[in-house]
Amino acid sequence: MSYVFQFGTVWRELDHLLLGAWLTLRLSALAMVFGLAVGVAGAQAKASSSRLLRGMVQCYVEAIRNTPFLVQLLLIYLGLPSLGLRLTPDQAALLAMVVNLGAYATEIVRAGIEAVPNGQIEAGRALGLKPWHIFRFVVLMPALRTVFPALGSQFILVMLASSVVSVISAEELTAVTDTIVARNFRSFEFYFVITGIYLALSLGFQALFAAVDHALFARWADRA
Amino acid sequence: MRHSIGRLLSFAIALLLSIAVAGPQHRAAAQTIDDIIKRGKIIVGVNTTTPIFGLMGKDGQPEGYDPDVARLVGKYMGVPVEFVSVTGANRIPYLLSGQVDMVIALFGITPERALQISFSIPYASEAATLVAPASRQVKTVDDLKGLRVGVPRGAMQDLILTPIAEAKGINLMRFDDEATDLQALISGQTDLAGTGLLVYRTLNRNDPGKNYEVKIVLRELHFGIGVRRGATDLLQWLNTFIYAIKNDGELDGISRKWRELPVGDLPVF
Repeated sequence: MSYVFQFGTVWRELDHLLLGAWLTLRLSALAMVFGLAVGVAGAQAKASSSRLLRGMVQCYVEAIRNTPFLVQLLLIYLGLPSLGLRLTPDQAALLAMVVNLGAYATEIVRAGIEAVPNGQIEAGRALGLKPWHIFRFVVLMPALRTVFPALGSQFILVMLASSVVSVISAEELTAVTDTIVARNFRSFEFYFVITGIYLALSLGFQALFAAVDHALFARWADRA
Repeated sequence: MRHSIGRLLSFAIALLLSIAVAGPQHRAAAQTIDDIIKRGKIIVGVNTTTPIFGLMGKDGQPEGYDPDVARLVGKYMGVPVEFVSVTGANRIPYLLSGQVDMVIALFGITPERALQISFSIPYASEAATLVAPASRQVKTVDDLKGLRVGVPRGAMQDLILTPIAEAKGINLMRFDDEATDLQALISGQTDLAGTGLLVYRTLNRNDPGKNYEVKIVLRELHFGIGVRRGATDLLQWLNTFIYAIKNDGELDGISRKWRELPVGDLPVF
């Protein structure tokens, strides 16, 4: 093994790497928030009595879950301009991530909702709660609590998938690294270091999810 | 704590190395002609996203100027050619990690790159240009202020524009390959695209009506075949090979077929 590691080159480019990691972080955090919102709305729609609505959501979920993220991304960035919708690379990346995560989150939240016992909902009705309150407190919160670990994994997957958006020139962590490596060719060092950065981001998000889980759902656990 | 981090790190390194060593079936690392002939095939990295110089053909085989030169290499070595697709950004790592024997992929000859790999004498000339529809009013680099200029990441256009982009107010956008770079221009996601001298013809065929043309020639350049440093035997053979195909007209034939231009005078070094 004759390769000589030069980690000094990484140190010199650290500000660029951190800037890229910052965009990765921002894109991922926003995608998680909006993706969850899409997922909750989608799951609610799937539980609705309207067959048309259920069918539309089913089409969305199947279309997204059975096609590659990269293709969805290119379709949004390079395809939508033909329809007059021109997004910047960052906007297109975020939209692709939200659309993608939303489909998976829909299925995950739906599973959680189906796990809520009917008796619980009937109990809510018996107490005279309004339908919106029943959905929010009797169905959604326990459902989210049940599926929170699965949602967390999906959130992490979307964060990792964000490395793909470098193809449309969004300057996130992988893109910044590719650009630097194209210039100084120290690929081993740089990919090694950003592997560590992605790992740190994942672990950071997981710690955040654990804190959110505790803050939001601990009192539900007490009553369960 | 320190101990366990060290162990984790060494485990991670061991894992990475085992993947690096055991993973790709393409691992070639032939350093001499004898290695290649003994193995019975030559593994060549070509770019299949660059019109004229290399595209994936309808039969799934690469076609273009570079693949044709690669096939000539195979013909004169007497071995079949195995193609591996590389991009502007990963062609040096592919060479250095031994996944290809040589790279024939619009490889502009620069002293910085020559620190990492060795170049043969030039087998093709090109220019790094910026292309845009005829309606775009741009004559010099100074006119690029505020415009979105797409480039293939790590390509010559990227290297030329990056140092001046900020000062000149150029919105430089780096795409992973030239195909996406050109597609972004067609979609109107960029105002100009960094590419070669002749690609505007392909653009006009595929997206007629906009009259794409070369707006700025950033730099004339020549392409060499890239091999690993120290592969002097292979390098010497390639230089001899290029001399020969220049002399007997075969290279001119390839140039006329793909560039619709004679090969012209190529410098030697």
